[in-house]
Amino acid sequence: MSRPRAERTLLKDHWVVDPASRRAGVATVEVHSGKIARLEWRDGIVEARRTFNEGAEPGQKDPTKMILPALVDLHAHFRQPGAGASEDVASGEAAAAHGGYGAVALMPNSEPAADHPALLRELVRSNSPLGLTLMPIAAATLGRAGVALSPMAELAAAGAVAFSDDGSPIADPSLFRNALISAGALGLPLIEHCEDPALTAGGEAADGLISMSLGLKPWPAAGEISAVVRNIALLREALHDEPRARLHLTHLSTATALDAVRAARAEGLPITCDVTPHHIALTDAWIAGDRRWAWEFSDRRPAELNPTADAFDTNLRVCPPLRNAADAAACRAALRDGTASAIATDHAPHSREKKEVEFGLAANGIAGIETSLSVALAAHAAGELPLSLLVAALTTGPAAVLGRPELARGLTIGGAANLLVVDRAANWTVNRGTLVGRSANTPLLGRKLPGTVLLTLINGEVAWQATMSS
Amino acid sequence: MPSTIATHRHLLDVAGLNWAELSSYITTADAARRILSSPTGRVDALKGVNVTTLFYESSTRTRISFESAAKALGANVNSVAVASSSVGKGESLVDTVKTLRALGSNVIVLRHERAGAPWFAARVFDGSLLNAGDGWHAHPTQALLDLSVLVRHIGAKDGTLKGRRVAIIGDLLHSRVARSNLHTLRAAGAQVQLAGPAALTRGFAALAEQRDGITLCSSLAEALDGADAVMALRIQRERLDGGEVSSFEAYRQEWGIDEERIAAHAARGCVVLHPGPMNEGVEIHPDLADGPRSLTLEQVAEGIPIRMAAIWKALRGDAALSAPAAPNAPASRKANA
Repeated sequence: MSRPRAERTLLKDHWVVDPASRRAGVATVEVHSGKIARLEWRDGIVEARRTFNEGAEPGQKDPTKMILPALVDLHAHFRQPGAGASEDVASGEAAAAHGGYGAVALMPNSEPAADHPALLRELVRSNSPLGLTLMPIAAATLGRAGVALSPMAELAAAGAVAFSDDGSPIADPSLFRNALISAGALGLPLIEHCEDPALTAGGEAADGLISMSLGLKPWPAAGEISAVVRNIALLREALHDEPRARLHLTHLSTATALDAVRAARAEGLPITCDVTPHHIALTDAWIAGDRRWAWEFSDRRPAELNPTADAFDTNLRVCPPLRNAADAAACRAALRDGTASAIATDHAPHSREKKEVEFGLAANGIAGIETSLSVALAAHAAGELPLSLLVAALTTGPAAVLGRPELARGLTIGGAANLLVVDRAANWTVNRGTLVGRSANTPLLGRKLPGTVLLTLINGEVAWQATMSS
Repeated sequence: MPSTIATHRHLLDVAGLNWAELSSYITTADAARRILSSPTGRVDALKGVNVTTLFYESSTRTRISFESAAKALGANVNSVAVASSSVGKGESLVDTVKTLRALGSNVIVLRHERAGAPWFAARVFDGSLLNAGDGWHAHPTQALLDLSVLVRHIGAKDGTLKGRRVAIIGDLLHSRVARSNLHTLRAAGAQVQLAGPAALTRGFAALAEQRDGITLCSSLAEALDGADAVMALRIQRERLDGGEVSSFEAYRQEWGIDEERIAAHAARGCVVLHPGPMNEGVEIHPDLADGPRSLTLEQVAEGIPIRMAAIWKALRGDAALSAPAAPNAPASRKANA
């Protein structure tokens, strides 16, 4: 596939936000031969007059077209090998480029699981028609079965950037501790999906008013909290044996679990966590058909409990489940105070067959890599997330979790032109036609979102470009 | 207010229906009752309409009363029984619904073990879908027939249940009957007093807090206090395995209703309902179940006219359902007039 080679791209007077250099303001960027050849701040850099956090907020008169460093995703499923009907590396990469991403870490939930060096090498080799950086996360245990550790050293040599049994939490505490130690010795984080299946088996929706009203089997918050608390305790002990052990908890969804991480970080433990776009912006009331953003619920206008005709959309079935507005607010608060250092998509494409079934039988997961920036911008527009922080949570934050700052070097003269252009004032409608990925299992179908990604450049080459008709 | 789910095409739920909408089912059921008591006991109003009952869970009274209702309206009836074990293995629900449509079904009556299944089926079916019970979630026609019976026996002068207290006792957590009744009873103006073992009323405290007119009581006596009607729910054997109830005997002692307890706490003339099938001697004393307060058989009988109303309204909306006025009069034309 040949791509337009942008020999010279001039992006004049855009709003630029660059967390890596902590600079923001109106600037003109020129890309030449894959690199940023020119970066001229119109009013001097913001740092000089205000702090980055305030300075990154565009004013009324500032341009709505923004240049951001290409985004980094910590958590995506491209379903290769095993489920090409849902997604593969090529379609996933195209979807990621549409979402503004330049680097994506791929979870090992393929079939077979990514627990063998040859499989990782194959995946790394299949990188990548569009030039995105695709990083394999290797299985922590063989077959993600939670019985024996995977050959971590060989997997690291083959390119693993982290270890995880995502979707199949490591139940055996000793094995979990050993996984932390072994990964730590290789300088890599263990990424854990925190869930106690004994508590959540059969759960269809978050335990609460909505599940009780709709008669959906409850998935209790304790199913996440108990695993988080256990894993923190095990991390504390593992550090005695391996001071380099690092734990990253993915897609946390409950206020209490985030509090536990906040306390652990205050204690100085090497622990990080991420939240997903859907857990910060949607609530379980969507299952009843309520379609308000999470921040639009209030005591005066609480969740609608009576199901509408749109109720029980299986695109809302996800693990951990969508929760109430207070938990969603806690996820946003965790981003604001740094408890959560990344927004990770948990992009989980599923074919129609897996979603066109009864709610409780539907596969868990939301295809989210194409809508994550827009959802975050919707939160920003509502005053819920400062722009500086939002961009950091999509770039430098996840890069730091992986210990790879080079993934988010930002915008520097002479540096690789990995960037995106998004018009925060241009809305787009999510539908089968506007989505690029192979699966459209998102509850946002039909919804108008802010923030059209106009251009994604990877090493100066066009990985995504919007057609001008939109 | 979001779009309603009981359009005139489907009957998915009673949640969100107001009193006027609910009472139109009762009025239509009255007309249906006149048809049932006519010499032939049926009309040809829905001649040529194909009604299919699609049951993924076993049921006696609901399925048979739906089939009787469809026949009494002159419709053709087909019945598909699916072993629940085949769900997710064999033909999917969406394929089954599409197949039934291709075979000419105009109405599907769906009973399913999963909450929300009727919503999902309705999205791929261009006929009318009637929810005959989905998991723990809803049982619209049961709630409608309970309402019809209650209005007849304890209704206020204006035909509503204003000022009346209705107690629902037992396993609320797993009960679609309780969930649907909460909506219809509240819409009719009744105060609802709930009670049951703590593990089986999970979530209902928050629900009661959220909605006016619903109280979760901490004892049977409190729930029965001043009640004009008591609805006992079936306690299933698997609740013993899950540790939610220690034994049937313990359940009976704390939550079982009998004449003595009703006489001590409830209003005079308090009536007793049960959606069936009953565990006599556990949630309800046999003498009470068979005694003068019991409306349980009337509930069963009410199933046919209410389900005639449900089928009729799904297909014909607010058009009046008429009994045959005279021999040879084409009932279907009359009904549509």
